[in-house]
Amino acid sequence: MTQKRNREAFLYILPCLVVLGFFVYYPLVMNLIYSFQSFGMSDTTRDFVGLANFKKLFSDEIILTSLKNNVLYAVISVIIQVGFGLVLAAVLEDRVFQKVSPFFRTTYFIPTLLSMTVVCLLFEFVYNPQMGLLNSFLELIGLDGLTNVWLGKSSIAMYAVIAVSQWQSTGYVTMLFIVAIQKIPRDLYEAAEMDGAGKIRQFFSITVPQVKQMFFVTMVITVVGAFTVFNEPYILTSGGPGTSTMTLALHMYQTGVVKNDMGYASTIALLIFVITAVLSSIQFITIGGKEDKE
Amino acid sequence: MKLRKLSILALASMTALALYGCGGGDTASADNNGGAEGDQIEINFFHRWPNDPKNAMFKELIAKYEEENPNVKINMDCILNDQYKEKIRMIVSTDEVPDIFSSWSGTFAQEMIDSGNVLDLTSTFEEDPEWSDTIADVSVGPFTFDGKIMAIPWSQDGKAFFYNKRIFEENNLEVPTTWNEFIDVLDKLKAAGYENPIAEGLKDQWAILHYLGTMNQRMVDPEVLAADYDPATGEFTDPAYVDVLEKWQQLTSYMGEVATAIDHETARNTYFATEESPIMYLQFAEISLMTDTVNFDYGYFNFPAFEEGKGDPKALTGAPEGFMVSNKAEHPEECIKFLKWLVSPEGGAVDLTVKGGDLTCVNGALTEENALPAQIEALETINEASQMAPWFDNACDASIYTVFGQGASAIATGDMTPEDAMADVQAAAADLRAKQ
Repeated sequence: MTQKRNREAFLYILPCLVVLGFFVYYPLVMNLIYSFQSFGMSDTTRDFVGLANFKKLFSDEIILTSLKNNVLYAVISVIIQVGFGLVLAAVLEDRVFQKVSPFFRTTYFIPTLLSMTVVCLLFEFVYNPQMGLLNSFLELIGLDGLTNVWLGKSSIAMYAVIAVSQWQSTGYVTMLFIVAIQKIPRDLYEAAEMDGAGKIRQFFSITVPQVKQMFFVTMVITVVGAFTVFNEPYILTSGGPGTSTMTLALHMYQTGVVKNDMGYASTIALLIFVITAVLSSIQFITIGGKEDKE
Repeated sequence: MKLRKLSILALASMTALALYGCGGGDTASADNNGGAEGDQIEINFFHRWPNDPKNAMFKELIAKYEEENPNVKINMDCILNDQYKEKIRMIVSTDEVPDIFSSWSGTFAQEMIDSGNVLDLTSTFEEDPEWSDTIADVSVGPFTFDGKIMAIPWSQDGKAFFYNKRIFEENNLEVPTTWNEFIDVLDKLKAAGYENPIAEGLKDQWAILHYLGTMNQRMVDPEVLAADYDPATGEFTDPAYVDVLEKWQQLTSYMGEVATAIDHETARNTYFATEESPIMYLQFAEISLMTDTVNFDYGYFNFPAFEEGKGDPKALTGAPEGFMVSNKAEHPEECIKFLKWLVSPEGGAVDLTVKGGDLTCVNGALTEENALPAQIEALETINEASQMAPWFDNACDASIYTVFGQGASAIATGDMTPEDAMADVQAAAADLRAKQ
């Protein structure tokens, strides 16, 4: 009986295993093999080149630029999406804002529902140096000095790109935190209030520890998202000016598809995989990993 | 038991889904082989113009052709430029290769030919001189590899500086023929209050590459250039390249700070068309796009000669585009028949210019009745050019021009020096050499 049940159980997970194996593990292994080869998209043969791609990886300056940008992306995303998102969620869930909270919740969440492509095109208009909303707004309130060629200057282009993601994703993370905060028993707050704890004290002593699990989930989402970001820089700047807004995923795409060097692109893909895998593992081990994911 | 049945059902549906995925591919390949049932012949036709007006034009032309040839059915498929490049690269070396597909000249055509699946069309040209004599020689040349004609050209294009005639007259400016004269004109325009006398959208890498291709051709010794553009021998160590990038730096200082943040089309519509910038480097194919937006008289001049340049100063940068036929096509003679019709005044040659906006490569197809005067003038310019210099991104490997373009973009924003940019290009060239 038990054995039969085991066999049946196996049947249940078989579709999942087949799909995972075919679409995740098989490509992963193939990617590893490709990273030791050199070939273009229309080539019929693949040459084995040993560690040549890896040597290139360590001497490639664009990799450094990309890494720097990805790290910047991750740091800012964690601060704004996770940090600010949590504060926002706590404020919206406070009794004082009970009446208006559904309106704001929806408003902050709407950007998440828009397609990334649409958002990026929208921001091209916002950032347009001549008639863009941002510059017009700055001029309107008399801050002419702050107007800028947002996407055309290498020193600020990356921040402009990162800002788009914050605009889009903060609402999503806030929503996740709202769900977590709603699960916190009300009496904890009531008890704290009785003891004379202020709002800020309540936030740090009750809200933050109680949403620890969600903290972990959102951290993984934002950090992994930051290291695989592609759409925003691709649509807004294509990595320019120069290579100043290049990210790892974009560099991988340009190497493989534009420069037609699929072997080296696979090596970059491997690097991205290693980084995201290591970062997720660290977070799993240190903060979370019990249950309660999303 | 019930559970077991359910699980089998789930498994079956999974398998069905997987098979369905493959099925999609299978039908596509069945199309590729053409249906020999009855006398119906199917031709798979793949091009890069999913947007109008060209897509609509192709649909009309195909409908017309199918009406005239009831036994032929043409399956048209299309995706836009970059995606087109990706897809055709992927399928050209497989059995899925379409019977007819569009191709740029130069390195892209070479890549297609290297797949071994492109039909040699030399005999088509030799057997029907009445038709082939009408095709402009400048368009056939770039598709000739090792003496064999590998594609049927369809459109041609060139790039020149378009200028606002009124502004030039008001400021008593002459059309410049040398670089120093050109800079002088730009300085005078700037002094006359035109903040950005030359408009460009440097966000588009191809727009940067169009400049660099011409400037390299004008400046560098043709032999050195040919050796450098060859992946097996490219070094890019000639100091002339640094000169080119220094000149580029100088030129971008007249484009304004905004240039790096906008694309080519925005630059054309918001600076050139509004007469804010009197000069812009444009393709002849853009003439038809300006009929609605540009309400002033414009002329154009070829890229000025560099005083110290070693290349042919009369060459015109531009290239034809054409169609290739797969040697796996089941009915190559029908494919060729269709293409010859497409590239003839009776077929699609006139429509290409009148409806599609590109210049046809069929001599004599355009008349004053059916084309814009500027288009006819442009065609003459192309035919009169001493030689056509290919677009930079058709002239050398992508790993070179991408780095070159990124360097030039960084120079425009002041983040890189010409020397550093060239060092990157040299490294990319060394990498490419090692791979050959």
